[in-house]
Parts: sequence; C-alpha cells; structure tokens
Amino acid sequence: MNGAADMGGMHGFGPVQVEANEPVFHADWEKKAFALNIAIGVANIWNLDEFRFARESLPPPQYLNMSYYGLWVATLENMMLRYKMATPEELQEGRAREPVKKAKQPVTAAQVANMVRCGSPYERPAPAPAKFKVGDRVRARNIHPKTHTRLPRYVRGHTGEVVRIVGCHVFPDSNASKRTEDPHWLYTVRFEGRELWGPDSDPNVRIAIEAWEPYLEIA
Amino acid sequence: MALENTPAVHNMVVCTLCSCYPWAVLGLPPLWYKSAPYRSRAVAEPRAVLRDFGVELPPQTEIRVWDSTAELRYLVIPTRPEGTDGWNEDRLADLVTRDSMVGTGFPKRPYEAAK
Repeated sequence: MNGAADMGGMHGFGPVQVEANEPVFHADWEKKAFALNIAIGVANIWNLDEFRFARESLPPPQYLNMSYYGLWVATLENMMLRYKMATPEELQEGRAREPVKKAKQPVTAAQVANMVRCGSPYERPAPAPAKFKVGDRVRARNIHPKTHTRLPRYVRGHTGEVVRIVGCHVFPDSNASKRTEDPHWLYTVRFEGRELWGPDSDPNVRIAIEAWEPYLEIA
Repeated sequence: MALENTPAVHNMVVCTLCSCYPWAVLGLPPLWYKSAPYRSRAVAEPRAVLRDFGVELPPQTEIRVWDSTAELRYLVIPTRPEGTDGWNEDRLADLVTRDSMVGTGFPKRPYEAAK
C-alpha cells in the first residue's frame, strides 16, 4: 500500500538527528512493547507480514506522529482487536473482562530470545526455476496494491539490473493478505541514481533493493 | 550479506519501509536509523545524509545504498585505515565502529584506538 511507511524520496523531514548517548529504550514501557511483540510473534497467532501491513495501515497523520515503539503498541492493539484477543473496552481499561485466550503452544523466554537473535527463516523450496538471471535488465512494475507490498514507490516503473539471485522466499504480499506463503524468487536489483532521481541528481549513486519476481518484468 | 568498502566505493544500508537491521550482529538499531529523515533521504541524497554524520566523501566516490526490503540483512566492511600494517585482528577490531558497519561512519583511525 502507498502508506506513510514507504518514505524513500520524501522531502521535509529535516536532517538526521543523532542522539548523544543513544539509549536502546527511552522508557520502561518500550522494553515491554518490544518483548511483547516478539513473544506474540513466537506464538504465531499472526505472521510478521500481517503485522507489518497493520503497522503501515495506520493513518499517515498517526503514523508520522508516533514514536517507533508507540507504533508497535498501536499496531499490536489493532491486531488484538482483529483477532478477537481483546475488546475495545478491555484495551481502554487495561484489564481483561473475558477469560484470557491461550496460545496453542506456550511461549518460553528462550524462544523469545532466540527470535530476537535469529528471526525466523523465510527461505523456501522453489516451485519453479528463476525467471531472471544476473545481468538481466528488469523494470520494477508500476503497481499500486492497496495491500501489503515491499516494492517501494520510488523504484516503480524504473529499470535496473539483477545483481544477485538471493533465493526463493516467502512472498510478503501474499503472506500479509492471504496468510499463504506463496514463495517466489527474490533478486537484488540495482538502479542507477539518475534513473530514479533524474538528471540533476548525483551521478555516482546506485541504489539496490530486494525484489520478488512478481515485482519485476524484463526491460 | 557483507559489503566491502574500497577507496572507490562506499556502501551504506537503510530500510526505507521501516527498520530492518542486522540485530544479531549490531543489536537493536539506534533511533536515527528508524527515523523519517534517514529513511526518506538515504536513497535519494546519500552524500548529504553522510554529511549529517560528519562524513565527507569525494564526489567521485561511488555510493551504493542498500535498501533492506526483504529478510536479507547487510553489514558494511569498512576500508582498512592507513597506518595499520601488521596489526592483528583484535587491534583492527577495536577500530571498527557500529556506524562504520552501517555505512554512516568511518572506522576509528589508529591514534584513536584504545591502548
């Protein structure tokens, strides 16, 4: 979707601000928000791509005004409502009115720590041979799905070169909307800066993204 | 995935869509990595973004920006500083900073190393 999260190329946010002491968390609730999100990820009630889609679906004014972990909490609340793990009243009051629903499998602290360290593998057996090879000129399709996609707006319609075949990976667009893994080949595609940002831009910049096969067509 | 910097090529890493970052190696990302200014500008004007970090590259140095849009995670291998001939791995490791592995900083110079 063309939401506030897809920021590449936007103007007006000002210079990068580097904090002096760079605390990992800025308040105790941020630690809890982080841990809770990872733990629910391990419980596998929803998948990571559904969570990402829910996060980028927050209205742009809200998305742009919230802190990073504020976004996580707002997304978590929306997911809990969607999956009927909580009611709006319960979230308002901060306590359970209904009997607590249990996950199918208990989540252990060790599993949560492992998820933080290793994530979960997204590589899958290939259903078909890769359509593109290294060196192919490919165009990022000019698509604007209202559902989750990881094809950033700033490359759509532009031509680049396949520089690596990464492997066959879960397709986030399907995983977020339909909860089907629908694996596709994943490629690293490199674009010339001027192809994306025009003739007035820096001539010595190249930008690479990862693109799943359905995002690409031969140029 | 490791990206090797050379005198001719400087690599830097961003996640324009959110905050993908090599947690397992670098820990959780700093706030600036997740912030709108970095995410919006790193792909469009990386040389100016590097200046925000006090990093000035010659115009002829190619900048390669890697937008982590999938589950692949990138790590920059900074250029080995001059004056480190004969240094062992531990001494060299001391020169490597977090920012130099994201591509927004240079490694420490030999005289900045911990004694």
